[in-house]
Amino acid sequence: MVVEDDSLPKSVRDALPGVASSSIRLSAEADLATDGRFGERWVVLADDRVLTVASEDGEARVQRDLALTDIDEFKLESLVGGGVLQAVVDGREVDLISYTNALSKRFADVRTQLEAALKDKPIPEAPDRIFRCPKCGMVLGERTRVCVRCVRRGAMLRRLLSYARPYRAGLALVSVLMIAAAAFGLVPPWLTKILVDDVLIPKANPHLLGWLVFGLLASSVLSTVLAIWRGRVAAWLGGRTSLDIRAELYDRLQWMSLRYFDHHPTGTLVSRLTQDSGGVQDFLAFGLPWVASNLIIVFGVAGAIFALNWKLALLVLVPAPLVALLTRSLIRRVRLAFHKFWYGWSRFHTIVNDALGRVKIVKAFTRELDEIERFRFRNMELFGASVQAEQTFATFFPIIGFAVMSGSLLVWYFGGRLVIGDAGLSVGGLMAFLAYLAMLYGPLHGLAQSAQWMSRAMTAAERIFEVLDSEDYVERAPGKTVPEELRGEVEFQKVTFGYEKSQPVLKEVSFEAEADRMVGLVGKSGVGKTTVINLLCRFYDPDEGQVLVDGVDIRDLDLGAYRGHIGAVLQEPLMFSATIAENIAYGRPDATTEDIIAAAKAANAHNFIIKKPDGYDEQVGERGDKLSSGEKQRVSIARAILRDPKILILDEATANVDLETEELIQEALARLIEGRTTFTIAHRLSTLRNAHKLLVLEEGKVAEFGTHEELAKSKGVYSRLLNIFRKTSRVRAVDG
Amino acid sequence: MARQNGPASGAPDDQTRTRYLDPDEVRVFRDEDGRLFATVAEELTVLRPRFLRVHPLTDPDRYLAIVGPDPEGKDFGLLRNWRRLDRESRDIVNGELNRRYLHPVVKRIMSLRDYFGVAVCVFDTDRGLREATLRDVRDNVIYLGQSRILLTDAEGNRYDIRDVGALDAASKAMLAEVL
Repeated sequence: MVVEDDSLPKSVRDALPGVASSSIRLSAEADLATDGRFGERWVVLADDRVLTVASEDGEARVQRDLALTDIDEFKLESLVGGGVLQAVVDGREVDLISYTNALSKRFADVRTQLEAALKDKPIPEAPDRIFRCPKCGMVLGERTRVCVRCVRRGAMLRRLLSYARPYRAGLALVSVLMIAAAAFGLVPPWLTKILVDDVLIPKANPHLLGWLVFGLLASSVLSTVLAIWRGRVAAWLGGRTSLDIRAELYDRLQWMSLRYFDHHPTGTLVSRLTQDSGGVQDFLAFGLPWVASNLIIVFGVAGAIFALNWKLALLVLVPAPLVALLTRSLIRRVRLAFHKFWYGWSRFHTIVNDALGRVKIVKAFTRELDEIERFRFRNMELFGASVQAEQTFATFFPIIGFAVMSGSLLVWYFGGRLVIGDAGLSVGGLMAFLAYLAMLYGPLHGLAQSAQWMSRAMTAAERIFEVLDSEDYVERAPGKTVPEELRGEVEFQKVTFGYEKSQPVLKEVSFEAEADRMVGLVGKSGVGKTTVINLLCRFYDPDEGQVLVDGVDIRDLDLGAYRGHIGAVLQEPLMFSATIAENIAYGRPDATTEDIIAAAKAANAHNFIIKKPDGYDEQVGERGDKLSSGEKQRVSIARAILRDPKILILDEATANVDLETEELIQEALARLIEGRTTFTIAHRLSTLRNAHKLLVLEEGKVAEFGTHEELAKSKGVYSRLLNIFRKTSRVRAVDG
Repeated sequence: MARQNGPASGAPDDQTRTRYLDPDEVRVFRDEDGRLFATVAEELTVLRPRFLRVHPLTDPDRYLAIVGPDPEGKDFGLLRNWRRLDRESRDIVNGELNRRYLHPVVKRIMSLRDYFGVAVCVFDTDRGLREATLRDVRDNVIYLGQSRILLTDAEGNRYDIRDVGALDAASKAMLAEVL
């Protein structure tokens, strides 16, 4: 079978000595030369030879040519920033080809393929690892299908506005009000013209005076009332629209996979929800209507002055292109400056969260002064960014003002000459002209200012859409199987997974756990015990292989319903800032008071809870700080009992609790695990003995799987760990 | 903690004590089959040693650990300054470090285009030219001190800009657009 994932260039193909095209079974491109420089390299499997080819400036030459029969095995050595594919020849590793992190998954597949060839098995097809935009070839995010290069910019604004679509009626009302308000705003200068030309200068038509003044009053009042009405409706529309965006954003964030949160600091996400959606709200509620109404006024005024005297109007509009050009070039700089400013805010958030959230450690290590210094640095940085943003804006604004102002001087001079020469402009006309011109300044300033609104909103929207477009979330899988009841049989089938794509934590892990039995996870720290749990809870999905529950891939189960069958008691029990009762009922909000008490009782927690001044209504404080670690532990056991899960995750606490509390916890746990498939990360010898099966992990692989007795006898990894364990427990016993 | 060079007192297996190796007593060489060895003061020979930087980013040239080849990675000791090894050893260690640490240092930014938060740029690095796609740039930048930054691209490769202030004006301007 021919497997060609990367198409081999002709120059490389031609460089292969005595290799017919038809005999090429596999080829893959790498991106590093042996001296560590970037460069094009190829590894080719042809018949039973493995060749590596260096390709530089269209010239290719073979670097290595090995016979498969001389090779014992293929290995990958993982290096910092990349890796190397090696062949073991005569017990010695030979570097075949080096690659950067970009290709580490690809070469894991290549190794598997070469190994298959070595064992005379059919070469498996490699999954497509390279995620590029089919249109422009740009690298996409690992789980994003949206290519920003191919997204049109105007589409951003349209997309933002699409959120207003459900409120079409409101939008139409605002538009009508805007046009009407602008139209009434144009009336007063025109009435002034009539007043001057037909009443004041000829000193005639006194009956008109009253009507004209009434007209002035009426049009002003109407235009004001309409403006207020428009403002109120627009505020509701903008607020409502950004409410929808915020809701969608938060909804999306809640369903994001933990992998996403690993890569995005909470401070950044908080700032997207607060600052960025605030920016979008300002724009929608205030900025956009302001821009729209200013545009209408500008067009209205332009129409009016052209009607008065088109030549003079043209002259006034001379500075307009200049203004437009200035706006365009400065818009970019304002945008960049504000970008920096928002970023500064987000980092500022992160550092404040960090230091205040860990204030105990700061104090314990007397690092207050350093924290103040760290804060001072970020604070200064934020100051710098805000000054730059505001100063850029402050510079931009008056320059435009001046450019517009210069127009009125032209009107006084040329308009004045027209009036003196009786050349088509009356005194009233000139006054009206100047009044219209004055009306033009405000909106033009407003439009210039809209650069700020626009840039702020567009960058904010961009950041929000980035989250909305990221597909890095665990699917809720609607319409898939909803497990009503689980038996609780768990099976891992060749599960490979890594938090970072190049570093698998679990490698082809397979094991089976029977229902209602307890599996103890054993191994040194960092070996992948918690990762097994994370995959079982479907916090992450495996990169390869399957996790089966009752014989069904858990990806085919409704996530919410599936998690409903899982309960966890973690080493560091997570508490919400709420009452004890609310914390216990977190997994089953509909639980009655009696359910909660029963659970607390079974968890040996009831007794300490009722002794609290506020009993079950006691606030546990942020992260449960007001409870002792033994208390938190029991509250979390009660939470798990109340949830009544079929699959139970237990991360045993190593926390120092007194013997009596320890016994209470042990008792509570013994009650909890009955009738459930339990996975426990064991830290106690007693747990190891009680577990029905032990899963011993080493280097991300299953080293041993069996009962305590079997493994203790086998003189393998487990019996070695057991010895260390016994020694340390003895020390602990002596210490205690 | 043992502070002097030379073998530390105490049992050789004492893993709580750091052994600082004297460059004069360490030799690194390859045999005729190309296998790599390190010897420490005639008392210890390590087959296929790995050389690991203690501070790969902030102090790459000092504090080098000599570690065994197995995943457990037994630590044989630390060299404070490996550049003081004899010439042959130094060249081999240099080659090994170059192989292990792919750490491109950006000398110049040749081009950068920002597509709504995703920047496609071409870096001129000490390892040659490279096109990189930077996504969520601000989430994927690490600040080391006040003017040094480490960028991670969408494919997981890292790029080191040692001193942003020392870049040419055009590179600086392009960088400022995305940071």
